[in-house]
Amino acid sequence: MFISESYRKIMRDGIWDNNIVFSQYLALCPLLAVTVTATNGLGMGLATLAVLISTNAIVSVTRYLIPSEVRIPIFVLLIAAVVTVVDMLMDAWLHELHKVLGLFIPLIVTNCAILGRAESFASRQPVALSLWDGLMMGLGFTMALVVLGAAREIASAGTLFANASLLLGDGFKFIELTLIPNYKGFLLMALPPGGFIMLAFIIAGKRLLDRKRVANKAQATLLSEAIPEEIR
Amino acid sequence: MIVHSKLSSGAHIGANTTVQHIMRQVMLAISPATAFGLFCFGWPALNLFIITLLSAVLFEAFCLRLAGKVARPVIMDGSALLSGWLVAMTLPPWAPWWIGVAGAGIAIILGKQVYGGLGQNLFNPAMLARIALLISFPIEMTTWPNVAPVFSAHAPGLIESWSITFSGLGGMASADAMTGATTLGYIKTEFSQQHWLPDILADHSIFLDFLGWTRGSLGETSSLLLAAGGIWLIRQGVIKWHIPISLLLTVTVLSGIFHLMDGQHYVSPLVHLSSGALMCAAFFIATDYVTSPNTPAGQLVFGAGCGLLIFVIRTWGNYPEGAGFAVLLMNAATPLIDHYMRPRIYGRYRNGKPLAQKVAVQEHKQ
Amino acid sequence: MKSDSDHIKWLIEEAITYKEFLKHWLEPSNLERLRPRLAFQTGVLAGFALIASFLLGVTHCSTHDAIQQRLDEDLQKSLAEVVPSTLHDNDLLQDTVTVPSAEDNLGANETTVYIARKAGQVSAVCFKLAAPDGYSGIINMVIGINRDGEILGVRVINHAETPGLGDKIEIAKSSWILDFNGRSLLGLTDAQWAVKKDGGVFDQFAGATITPRAVVKTVHRGLQFFNRHRNELIGS
Repeated sequence: MFISESYRKIMRDGIWDNNIVFSQYLALCPLLAVTVTATNGLGMGLATLAVLISTNAIVSVTRYLIPSEVRIPIFVLLIAAVVTVVDMLMDAWLHELHKVLGLFIPLIVTNCAILGRAESFASRQPVALSLWDGLMMGLGFTMALVVLGAAREIASAGTLFANASLLLGDGFKFIELTLIPNYKGFLLMALPPGGFIMLAFIIAGKRLLDRKRVANKAQATLLSEAIPEEIR
Repeated sequence: MIVHSKLSSGAHIGANTTVQHIMRQVMLAISPATAFGLFCFGWPALNLFIITLLSAVLFEAFCLRLAGKVARPVIMDGSALLSGWLVAMTLPPWAPWWIGVAGAGIAIILGKQVYGGLGQNLFNPAMLARIALLISFPIEMTTWPNVAPVFSAHAPGLIESWSITFSGLGGMASADAMTGATTLGYIKTEFSQQHWLPDILADHSIFLDFLGWTRGSLGETSSLLLAAGGIWLIRQGVIKWHIPISLLLTVTVLSGIFHLMDGQHYVSPLVHLSSGALMCAAFFIATDYVTSPNTPAGQLVFGAGCGLLIFVIRTWGNYPEGAGFAVLLMNAATPLIDHYMRPRIYGRYRNGKPLAQKVAVQEHKQ
Repeated sequence: MKSDSDHIKWLIEEAITYKEFLKHWLEPSNLERLRPRLAFQTGVLAGFALIASFLLGVTHCSTHDAIQQRLDEDLQKSLAEVVPSTLHDNDLLQDTVTVPSAEDNLGANETTVYIARKAGQVSAVCFKLAAPDGYSGIINMVIGINRDGEILGVRVINHAETPGLGDKIEIAKSSWILDFNGRSLLGLTDAQWAVKKDGGVFDQFAGATITPRAVVKTVHRGLQFFNRHRNELIGS
C-alpha cells in the first residue's frame, strides 16, 4: 500500500504537479528551440525520455559508489555519454527525424532537468523508483513539448503533426492533419518570441486549472466536514 | 529663506484631468491626420479602420470579463479605443480585415491586458501590434495602395471596397497597378540597385510627402497634420515637449551630418521628417505616459534614443521604416532610464540627501 | 582427466571467493567507509570514464556503417534529382574530380564534382555549392549541368530562410527552382542572370527578394565555375 502510494505520487509529480516545464520551468532552451511543430516536440521528448530513464537507472544502481565530492563530473559524464549514444542511434535508424532534430539532440546534455533528476532523486532512491521517476518526468516533459508544439504549429501553419510519419513510420500518416486549409500562417508563432508567448498562455491555463481544482476540493471538504473557525 | 528650486512633480497635487479626458484630447489630435488618410485611401481604409476599433473594444471587454472585472467603466475611459485607433493608423490602408482584428488582438491582449491593464504595460501596445504583424505577415503589411481619394475616378467603389477588405487584394487583376512602394521603401530598393540619391528622387516631391499625398500607412502619411495635432496636444498640456523635440532633433541632426558628408548615400533630413511614421511616433507613440520615463531629463534621453535608433534602422537596417522597432527598444530601456534619472524627492537633493537648512543656521548665528 | 575436474572445482571455488569479496566490498556500509578516500574517488571517476568510453565505442562501431550509408543515400538522392538516371550508367559517388574553388565563391575551398558517364563518355556533372548571402545564413544547394553547359536542375539541400517567405526556394514549397532548368551562360547575358527587380529574368517572391537574389547569383557563379573548368571536367 505504502509503495503503491509513493509510485502514484511520483506519477502525479512528473506529469502534472511538478512538471519539468510547466511547474519547474526547467529545460526551456531545448523546449523553445524545437517546438515549432508537434512532431518535433514528440521526437525531442522521446529522445529526452530515453536519456532520462537510462541516466536515472545508472545513477540509482551506482548511487553507493558515487562519492558526493565527484558526483557532478560523474553525472555529466554519464549524461553526455548516453546522449551521444542516443544521437548516434537516431542518426543511424531515424535518419530523417535526426536531420530535423540533429542540432538539438546534443543540447539534451545541457538539459538541466536531467542533471536535476539525477541529483535530487536518482542518487537517493532505489532503482525501481528511479526508473519510474525517469519515466514519469520524461513523459511529463514529452507532454509539455507536444502540447506546446501542437499549439504553435496550429497557430503558425494551421497543421498538426506534420511529417509525423518520418518519426513514427508510414502507418501513422493518418495523424498528419491540416486543421485550417488555406491558412496564411501566423509566422510570429513559429519564431522564438511566439514560443515564449504560447508557453506563457499554456502555463497561465494550467495555473487556472490548478486554482479551480483547489477551490473545488476546498468546497468539497467544506461540505463534507465542519472545519474549525480559525482554519477557515 | 529656503533654497527654492522648481518642483517637477508633487504627489500631493490633485490633477483635474481624467483618463477619459486625456484620451479624448489625443483622439481629437490624431483625427485630422486620420480623416485625411481615410479621404486619400477611400472606402477600404474606412472598413479597416472601423473593424480595428471595434475589435479593440471587443477584445478589451472580453479580457475584462475573463479577469472578472466590470467591463463598462473601463471601456468608457477610451483607452482601448485609442489603442485600436493607433493600430489602425499604422496599418497599410487596404489590408484585409483579419490584419485589423489580429492587430487589435495583439495590442489589447498581449500588449496591455496580460500585464494587468491600463498603466501596467511595458511596451506601447500599438507598436507591439504593428511589429508583430510586420514580422508575421510581411506581404500584407508592405502592400501600399496608391493615393486614390474617395469619389475620384480610379478609387474603388463601396462594393469593390468590401471585396478588398474581405477577400484581399490578391483576387483583383489590377492589384499590381494599384499598389507601389513607400518613399523610404523605394529609396532602399534603388540603393540595392546601385542607384544613388539625387537621381532616385529626381522627379519626387518631398513637399507632397510632407502634406501626406503619398503611399503609406492609413493615418501616417501626413506629417503636416500629425505635427499640427501634436503641437496642439503640447499646448493643451496633455503631452510635454521633451520627447518629441529631442526625438525629431536627433533624427534631423544625425541625418543632416551624414547627408552633408555624403549626399549620395544618405537621404536629407527633409525626407526623414516628411515620413509620417516619424511624426506619429514622436508625438503620439513615444509620448505614451505608461511606457516612457517620468522625469524631463529621462524623457530627453528617451527621445534622443528613439531618434538615434530610427535613424540607424532606416539607414542601415533591413526594414525601410524603423519607428516601431525604435520605440519598442526604448520602451524596454525605460525602467533603466527611470532608475538613473529619478524625480527629485520633495525636500531632498537629487542624490537623496535632505536639503540644507541654510536659513535656519544663519538665523541661529544671529 | 582428474586434474581437469580438480582444476574446474578450484576455479569455481575461486569464483565464489571473488563473488563473496565483491559482495562484501559492494556493501553500502563498506562503500561508505571508502567514499571519503581520495584514491577511491579517483578510481570511481576513472571507472565511469572507462564505462562511458566503452559505451561510446561500441555504439560508434555498431552505427558507423549505417550512418555512412544514410549519408550516402542522402547525397545520392539529391544528386539523382539534378542528374536524371537516364544520363548515366556509372556510380556518381565513386566517379569524382576535386577542383580548387577558393576563387569562385561557392562556399568551399575545394569542390568535389561528381561525373556522370554514359558508355564511358562524360554526359553531365554535378556538384554542391552554397550561397553565403541568404537572408538568414548559408543556403546549400546542388546543381547538375550537362556537357553543353545547360542546367539540368538545381535543388536546395538545406537553408534557414524565413518560413512562408524565403522557403519557396524548396521544391516542396514552390516550383520556382525549376525555372533554372535549361538555362545556360549562352542563353542569358550576365545582366539577365538576376531577379526581375534587378533587371534580370528570374522571378522574385512577393515580400522576399534577398533569398532568390542570393540563389540566382550563386547558380550563375556555379555555371561560370563549370565553364572555367569545362575542359578538364569533360575531358577526364
